[in-house]
Amino acid sequence: MRERTGNVAAEAREAFAAWISESDDGRVFGEVRIEKDGSGYSIRHIEDEGGENLDVSTDPTDAREISRFTESGEYRPLKSSPNLRRRWELRLSGEAALVSAMNYFYPAGAVHWHLDREGELETTSFRENASRQSGMYERAKHLSDEAAQNAAKACCEDDVCLKKTLWDIDDDTPLEAERGDGEIPCPEPCSVFVSFARRVRSFEKEEIYADSDGLTPSEKEDIAALVDGAASGGVSFAREAEFEEPVNERRMRYRRLTLAPKLRPEGESG
Amino acid sequence: MKALVIVGHGSHLNGDSSLPIYEHAARIRREIGGFDEVVECFWKEEPSMRHVLDTVESDEVFIVPAFISQGYFTEQVIPRELGLDGSLTEKDGKTIHYAGPLGAFEGMPDVILERTADLMRGKEAGGTTALVLLGHGTDLNKNSSGVIYLNAERIRERNIYDLVEVGFLDQEPEISGVVENVEAENVIVIPVFIAEGWHTRETIPEDLGFDGEVTVRDGKAVFYGAPVGTHPSMARLIADRAREAEAASLA
Repeated sequence: MRERTGNVAAEAREAFAAWISESDDGRVFGEVRIEKDGSGYSIRHIEDEGGENLDVSTDPTDAREISRFTESGEYRPLKSSPNLRRRWELRLSGEAALVSAMNYFYPAGAVHWHLDREGELETTSFRENASRQSGMYERAKHLSDEAAQNAAKACCEDDVCLKKTLWDIDDDTPLEAERGDGEIPCPEPCSVFVSFARRVRSFEKEEIYADSDGLTPSEKEDIAALVDGAASGGVSFAREAEFEEPVNERRMRYRRLTLAPKLRPEGESG
Repeated sequence: MKALVIVGHGSHLNGDSSLPIYEHAARIRREIGGFDEVVECFWKEEPSMRHVLDTVESDEVFIVPAFISQGYFTEQVIPRELGLDGSLTEKDGKTIHYAGPLGAFEGMPDVILERTADLMRGKEAGGTTALVLLGHGTDLNKNSSGVIYLNAERIRERNIYDLVEVGFLDQEPEISGVVENVEAENVIVIPVFIAEGWHTRETIPEDLGFDGEVTVRDGKAVFYGAPVGTHPSMARLIADRAREAEAASLA
């Protein structure tokens, strides 16, 4: 990594605060809107524009508790997932409190936003990231390009993660996934992606056990789980990063890319 | 300016895993002081170790791993992800001190004994009493159990309990055998773990047949404590660990 000069975190704090102050109606960052509020700042969920019946706090560290669970009480392992809960407001006294709260809502988001705007954000490709993995994540190294592309489409697009994906598969292989429109840059595959990539690698490895229709054991397990769930009145989803469970949203998004075409071959109506 | 960065394991599935790290950080900010910034980072949560230093404004940084023993994480993963050269790294205009894990630190027995005192407060425990330190253990790394033996020895030297024993989940001596065979009327089991989780809440109570904090069976009362790592005085231990790293680099 290139040696940095200057105090990046302090520069980012000032630039981020100035960016908020320059705007009359505030700025959207992920799922929050930040507005200048007298000498301080107000942060709310973008869906809570009206500002009625909000639980108001002045402590920036409350952002951690707000961002910990979804509306329905599910743990949020990935802070940029589009499932931040609503009905709260943070009224913060200054720049330091603003950035502290933002680092709980979107960890390192403000500094990466700043570095990206300055053209100084270094990105790390999937291959480079995977090559330094060890232990249980080492197998992510062996993922094919095609599976890595599909994994990123399943794991990183705006429907499941609001960050703007800046990394590529490697220096010569750009990412095919929609990179996203948000303000928060993603300079490197995160640990949730690496964990997902590890699971997708296990799907690739079982392709040799595919049956005469080309279906692999885990694909059949997923179809059976969906049938069982629907037949019992409701498919209940696995936790967000519980990729070993059949009915996980990202796992299903991967199946849509890789299994659905096998079940519905081209030319056949769905 | 000085920053303390506490490194936790974190979890993709369990929202309680990182909670003690946040609580210790808050306690250091609020009550202990000594640092201009106190920041949390994780292996499996955000901010990642890879990016946390970008968020730190201080030029002097103390990294304390909230891990019990020296091993894979403290020796390989943490230095690699944070880009550290060893106990002292100069990088991006920052001086970065890397402290060792918490388990072998001399203040650890005090935290264990405070956890034990909290558990036993208001409880009757007449007769002989054994303290059993429960470690995870692994056959892959001797340091994992070594730190549990070290703390047992340090507590034994204080002559507080009739017996001080160790037991493990994933290596010998296996914990259920230790609890069953220890010759004492009262057995206090304290998990030397960083956080509550699957083991402390589910596998350990199930495997050992615990009914809660107190289980009476075969003439023995077994007291089961919360993990050492969630005790409020771990905050002091973390801050002291950072200060020790500073003193070591000045020496």
